[in-house]
Amino acid sequence: MGLISKLIEFVRFTLLALRLQFTTLPPRDILVTQTVDAGWGSLGLLTMLTIFAGLNLSVQSYGSFERFGGQDLLGMFAGIGGVRELYPVMAAVVCGARIGANLAASLANMKISEQIEALEVMAIDPMRHLVAPRLWAVTLSLPLLCGYADVIGLGASYVGAVWQLGLDGGSFITQVKEQVQLSDLLTGMFKGLVMGWLIAVISCFHGYTVAKRDGAEGVGIATNLAIVHGAVMCIVVNLLLSWMIYG
Amino acid sequence: MNPQAQPAGPPAVELGPPAVELVDVSKSFGTNKVLDRVSLTVDRGSIMVMLGPSGTGKSVLLRCLVGLLKPDSGKVLVFGEDVAALDEGRRRDRDKLFAIRRRFGMLFQDGALFDDMSVFDNVAFPMRLHTKLSEEQIREKVSDRLTRVGVAHSERKFPSELSGGMRKRVAFARAIAIDPDIVLCDEPSSGLDPVMSATLDELILELHRTLGMTFIIISHDTAEARKVADTIGMLANGRLVTYGKAEQVFADNHPALAQFFTRATQGPIKVV
Repeated sequence: MGLISKLIEFVRFTLLALRLQFTTLPPRDILVTQTVDAGWGSLGLLTMLTIFAGLNLSVQSYGSFERFGGQDLLGMFAGIGGVRELYPVMAAVVCGARIGANLAASLANMKISEQIEALEVMAIDPMRHLVAPRLWAVTLSLPLLCGYADVIGLGASYVGAVWQLGLDGGSFITQVKEQVQLSDLLTGMFKGLVMGWLIAVISCFHGYTVAKRDGAEGVGIATNLAIVHGAVMCIVVNLLLSWMIYG
Repeated sequence: MNPQAQPAGPPAVELGPPAVELVDVSKSFGTNKVLDRVSLTVDRGSIMVMLGPSGTGKSVLLRCLVGLLKPDSGKVLVFGEDVAALDEGRRRDRDKLFAIRRRFGMLFQDGALFDDMSVFDNVAFPMRLHTKLSEEQIREKVSDRLTRVGVAHSERKFPSELSGGMRKRVAFARAIAIDPDIVLCDEPSSGLDPVMSATLDELILELHRTLGMTFIIISHDTAEARKVADTIGMLANGRLVTYGKAEQVFADNHPALAQFFTRATQGPIKVV
């Protein structure tokens, strides 16, 4: 299939998914299952990576600020850089890869094993039954994951700055309080909302459009594409949103 | 026998106008013509078995009946409504199509059970969605269906824990869960041992006898065709080479059917 026709198919899929997402109530049990899987299921991975990222941010920025005696600015840097950019993108890319792979693989597997056809024969719209709740689940989970990543990341930066690098804890907290506004936190969560929806729709598209004849290889390809396209879109959309909001 | 002709003699169960009528249905995938002007009638309450070698469009035929595939030309009349003319993109047509689909149950070739649901939930699924039965009534009905197909002991298991044959039986229980008017079976006996295959045939006959369900069965199993069919058809190279009342078709002994029944390598059916 050519790139243009694939793009047209994606646009059609997205429009239909949008319509279904906002015009029908998703099945509650699937919505709950998917939200728990996307949100709760990502916490362990996100916690671990955000701790390392937060520590790393402190260590790296300390090295740079130390050259001109600006170590006290570390709180500001860790706060603004982390909350506005690093943690939302990290949450989106890392959790997006996990969630997106899961969505694409499960839908693709349902497609090749005729489970989606079985739904259609039972007079159930698979887009409404399978895709809409997944879109809601990821769209609602990712902003919360971004907020969670902000808190854990800032905490890790504080620990790194105070316990490892010997900076004054009060100064760090004052810097963060002065420089990081509630709007920054909400902006990061808003980015998570947009990126979460994009990850979900891209992953569902790749999983849902696998053909039965593609078999297990098709499931693998769909999963791969979901991760790659989701990650690229997150980076690009984050840049665009940052430019629109802060530029 | 002329494949366009109606089956001779009265149907096994006379319950009204045809359940399904195909009129000059053709379907191609690229240059490959899978169905070539196929016309047939399936009487309400009858059992029709469609035989034919692999890749001759039998499964495509089933998918056209429920609107999963749209034929390139021709009419697909289900209880008088032309499914092929319905456009799923239009809400009114989609509602009609869904109303028609609710009258079908379908047994897929590999079962198509939902991986994330237990056996019980798989069978209960269409009941929960399309009926107003209480959970207690659903429990009783699921138990009845699972007992009929001999997997009552496995209702807590998940599809991945079942053998191929058990999956097929659970899928059959799901297909008949809400007493559909028409049951479509895609290779029901494949993957089953001969005893279970015969049990399934008996179950089909019983449901046909007691509930008047119409069965449209795609099969390679000639023994099954002999046992259950009121009407037999044979698809070869996209064409319906013979179709009619079972005894008439057997008496006519079309060369393709004879080749199929005798498992001969030489004859009108070519192995590609």
